[in-house]
Amino acid sequence: MSTVVNIVIYGIIMGGIYGLIAMGLTLQYGVGKILNVSHGEFLMLSAMTSCVLVKAGLHPLLSFVICLPAAFIIGFILNITIYRYLRKVSKDDATYESNAMLMSFGLYFILSNIGLKIWGTLSLSYQFFSYPVKIFGATIAVNRLISLGIAMVFIVAFFFFLNKTRMGKSIRATSQSATGAAMMGVKINRTMAICFGVGGLLAAAAGVLISMSFAPTAQIGLSNTVIALIVVVLGGMGSIPGAVLGGVLIGLVGQAVSFFDTSLVTVAYYLMIIILLLLRPKGLLGR
Amino acid sequence: MTMLEVQNINCFYGNVQALWDVSLKVEEAEIVALLGANGAGKSTLLNTITGLVKKSSGHVFFMEQSLDGVPSHSVMEKGIAYLPEGGRVFPDMSIRENLEMGVYPKGLWKTRKAGIDRMFGLFPKLKERQKQMASTLSGGEKQMLAMARGLMSNPKLCLFDELSYGLAPIMVTEVFNIVKSLREQGITVLLVEQNVKQAMETADRAYVLENGSVALDGNCCDLIDNDYVKKAYLGL
Repeated sequence: MSTVVNIVIYGIIMGGIYGLIAMGLTLQYGVGKILNVSHGEFLMLSAMTSCVLVKAGLHPLLSFVICLPAAFIIGFILNITIYRYLRKVSKDDATYESNAMLMSFGLYFILSNIGLKIWGTLSLSYQFFSYPVKIFGATIAVNRLISLGIAMVFIVAFFFFLNKTRMGKSIRATSQSATGAAMMGVKINRTMAICFGVGGLLAAAAGVLISMSFAPTAQIGLSNTVIALIVVVLGGMGSIPGAVLGGVLIGLVGQAVSFFDTSLVTVAYYLMIIILLLLRPKGLLGR
Repeated sequence: MTMLEVQNINCFYGNVQALWDVSLKVEEAEIVALLGANGAGKSTLLNTITGLVKKSSGHVFFMEQSLDGVPSHSVMEKGIAYLPEGGRVFPDMSIRENLEMGVYPKGLWKTRKAGIDRMFGLFPKLKERQKQMASTLSGGEKQMLAMARGLMSNPKLCLFDELSYGLAPIMVTEVFNIVKSLREQGITVLLVEQNVKQAMETADRAYVLENGSVALDGNCCDLIDNDYVKKAYLGL
C-alpha cells in the first residue's frame, strides 16, 4: 500500500515539473512555430545557476527572482534577433518552421557546451527542507512537496494568465489564427517573442524546482527536452491543458516503471507514444 | 467627406504584378462593392489598404489621412474593421472571447463589456451561445460572429471580404441585410464579392476589377443594365 502511495505522490510531483517544461515547449511551438530543441538547456542553466546562487548564500526561493526574469529576457532577445531574422528570410511558414528547428539545434549545442565548459560533469546540490514526512504510510521528502506546491502555483497562474488577461487572450488568438489576430491589432512579432520568453521562463522555473530536490549536472538538458517532447506529443501539440495532463501521466508511468526496473522507463514512454499515435494521433487533448 | 481613397496602386507578388494602377474612392455612409472574378486582385487590394501586403507604389488615404506605411495592427485603431475571407474567427475561444478580441487595442479594451452588450442586441443568436467555442458554430453563424467582432470597435469603415462565401442562400440574404443596416448607423462599407447579383442589389456603387486593374465603375443601378456586366458577370 505505501509503495502505491509512494509511486502516486512521486509521480504527481514529477508530473508537475514535466508539465511546466512541456507547457513552455508547447507555447513556443504553438504560437512561435519553433520546435525548441534547446528548451532543456534553459532548464539546465537555471538549475545549475540556482545551485551556485544558493551556495553563495541566496535563499532558494529567491533564485526564482533571478533565474526566471533572466530566462525570459534571454528568450525574448533570442527571438527578436535570430528567430525574427529567420522568419524574415524564410520564404513561407513551413520553411521557417524547419529553419527555426535547425536554429534551435544550434542553440542547444551552444548552451549545453557553455554548461559543460563551466561545470563539466560536476553535480551540484544544496540542502533545502531535505527531511522526510510520512503521508499515508509513504515517506516523502518535504522539499519535493514544496516543489510540487510551487509547480501547481505556476501552472494555475499560467492558466489564469492565458485565459483571463488581455495579453493571454492575444496569445491564444495568435496560436489559432495569426492573420486573424493581426487584423484585431495584435502585434504578432511581439507576441511570438513574449511566448518564446515565457517558454524559457517556464523551463527555468522547472530548473529551480529540480535544483531543490535533485542534484543537477550540466548534462540534464537534452533528456528533459526529450521528456517535454514526449509529454507534448502525448497531450496534443499546442494544447496547454494537454501538456499538464501528459506531464502527470508521464510522471506516474515513469515512477511506476522505475519501481520495477529503472532502465525500462524510456521504453515505457515510447511504448505509450506508439500506442497513443495509433489510437489518437492528435494526442490526448489535441485539436 | 471621402472615407477611403486609393490612388494609383501597383502591387507585385514576386515578379507577377497583381494590381495595375488601381484607384478608387469611397464616400461617407456609402456601400461600395468591389467585384470581379477569382484572382482579379480584389483581396489583394484590401490587403494593401490594411497594410498586410506591401504596395510598390501608390497611396491610401483614410478620412484624408495617409495610411502609407501604417502597420496593419494600427489600421484598425484608426477606425477600420477588416473581415478577411472566411471570417477567421478563433475556433478554440468562446464567442464572448472572440468578441473581446475585436477591441484588443489598448485604448479600446475597456469598452469590451458595452461592446458585447451592443453586439448581443444586434445578433441575439450569439448571446444564447456566448460561452460556446466558436468552432461549434455553423458557417453562417461564424460569419455573424466575425461581423460582430469587426463591429466591436465602432469602426467608421468596414472592409468585408467575400461575406457570402460558402453560406446557405438564406444566410446570404441575412448577411446582406446586416450590411444595409450598417449604412443606417452611418458606417461606410467596402464590399468584396463574387456574388455579383447580391452585391449589386446591396451597394450604391461598384468597381469591377479585371486582371488587377479597374475595368468599369459606376452606380449599381447603371451597371446592372450594362451589357458587358450582364454578359460577363450576371450570365444574362
